[in-house]
Amino acid sequence: MRRRFTLPALTVGALVASLFVAVSPAAAHGYISSPPSRQANCASGAVANCGDIVYEPQSVEAPKGSMQCNGGGSRFAVLNDNNRSWPAASVGQSVTFNWVLTARHSTSTWEYFIGNTLLASFNDGGAQPGATKSHTVGMKGFTGRQTVLARWNVADTAMAFYACVDVNIGGGGTTPPTTPPTTPPTTTPPTTPPTTTPPATGTWRAGTAYSPGNVVTYNGVSYTCRQAHTALAGWEPPNVPALWARN
Amino acid sequence: MGAKLALRAALVAILLVSGCTAQPETGPPAAAFTGTDVMYLQMGITQIAEGSSITALATERATDPRLKALAAELQAQWQEELAQMQRWLLGWSQPLTAPSTSHEGHGSLHMLRPSDIAELRSSPDFDRTAVSLLLGHLGNVVETARMETTSGAYPPARHLAETVTARRQSQIQTLLTLPATP
Repeated sequence: MRRRFTLPALTVGALVASLFVAVSPAAAHGYISSPPSRQANCASGAVANCGDIVYEPQSVEAPKGSMQCNGGGSRFAVLNDNNRSWPAASVGQSVTFNWVLTARHSTSTWEYFIGNTLLASFNDGGAQPGATKSHTVGMKGFTGRQTVLARWNVADTAMAFYACVDVNIGGGGTTPPTTPPTTPPTTTPPTTPPTTTPPATGTWRAGTAYSPGNVVTYNGVSYTCRQAHTALAGWEPPNVPALWARN
Repeated sequence: MGAKLALRAALVAILLVSGCTAQPETGPPAAAFTGTDVMYLQMGITQIAEGSSITALATERATDPRLKALAAELQAQWQEELAQMQRWLLGWSQPLTAPSTSHEGHGSLHMLRPSDIAELRSSPDFDRTAVSLLLGHLGNVVETARMETTSGAYPPARHLAETVTARRQSQIQTLLTLPATP
């Protein structure tokens, strides 16, 4: 019985296909895979309900010069939505961004921004990228939760590829205690200070046990400890007024 | 999208109508395939050949057992998909590979180059290079499969393309989580 339906289905199927054959596949080219960009978090399933971007994280292509996560194009507006719970990768002041390339366009520059601050620009002078591409970028003293915008400027077209990477700079997977953490810290502070702990003065350092009254400097600014704690990455004095008073 | 839905509705309507008419059963139905199906299968075969050069190395040299397992899984699935793709093309008397000129214009940028494989061979961080190359390659595979799903005509090939999309998506998800969980 079923077979009888097959022939018309094939015929109509061919008709339908012939109408859509002119639709070319999206031209897709590259994205940052680690630390995961917003489109990578969509593709990996870490963030749900992202729409078509899950099939083509490499397709965030738009004219050069935009400062938006989707490049200001008509597609993938979800990437601009800061109200999504984008996971922020814990990183230090120096971050290595790894690109996945599905087409190796000759490249003019790779640029990295936080807000309007240009963190770094790498000029490839029109060269074609190799098998992999990664850049190590300094965070210029930015701390806490930030969104890094990366732009891959193609040399021989007017287009660029965009990727936003949410990071927690200096955050060791913990939330600074200015507000009660919603989840317990993933790292437990040592119950006793490490024997190699330097004196609790001088430059602020993660892993150091501080007592009230200790004075440290951080980025050239002096702070006094307000309550005893063992410092964790992400708890830098300017981030945590509950722990440090600026002098 | 609206046009597509309308066409789907029309297709369903025709199916319903055809169900009421008595049609003689005359052997297997003629396979309706188009140039898109042929292109998909030819590209699929090329992509499997390219990808296999990564998985062959990865099954031997990957440090992360998860990467090794994923490469082995790909190899097994590719073997099965390749056999199916070749069967259809041979059945339609079509060449198994596209004429090389058909890639001028867009294809070569999306293909793995021998230099990429050479770079992988000599990479000081084999796993990371392999993950990057695989993610890029599987991304291209998904795009090709989605082209078939959208525009292909031959239902079994479209079905294969859906299977391929689902398999590669799941592998891409695994690869994307590898660097995060050392």
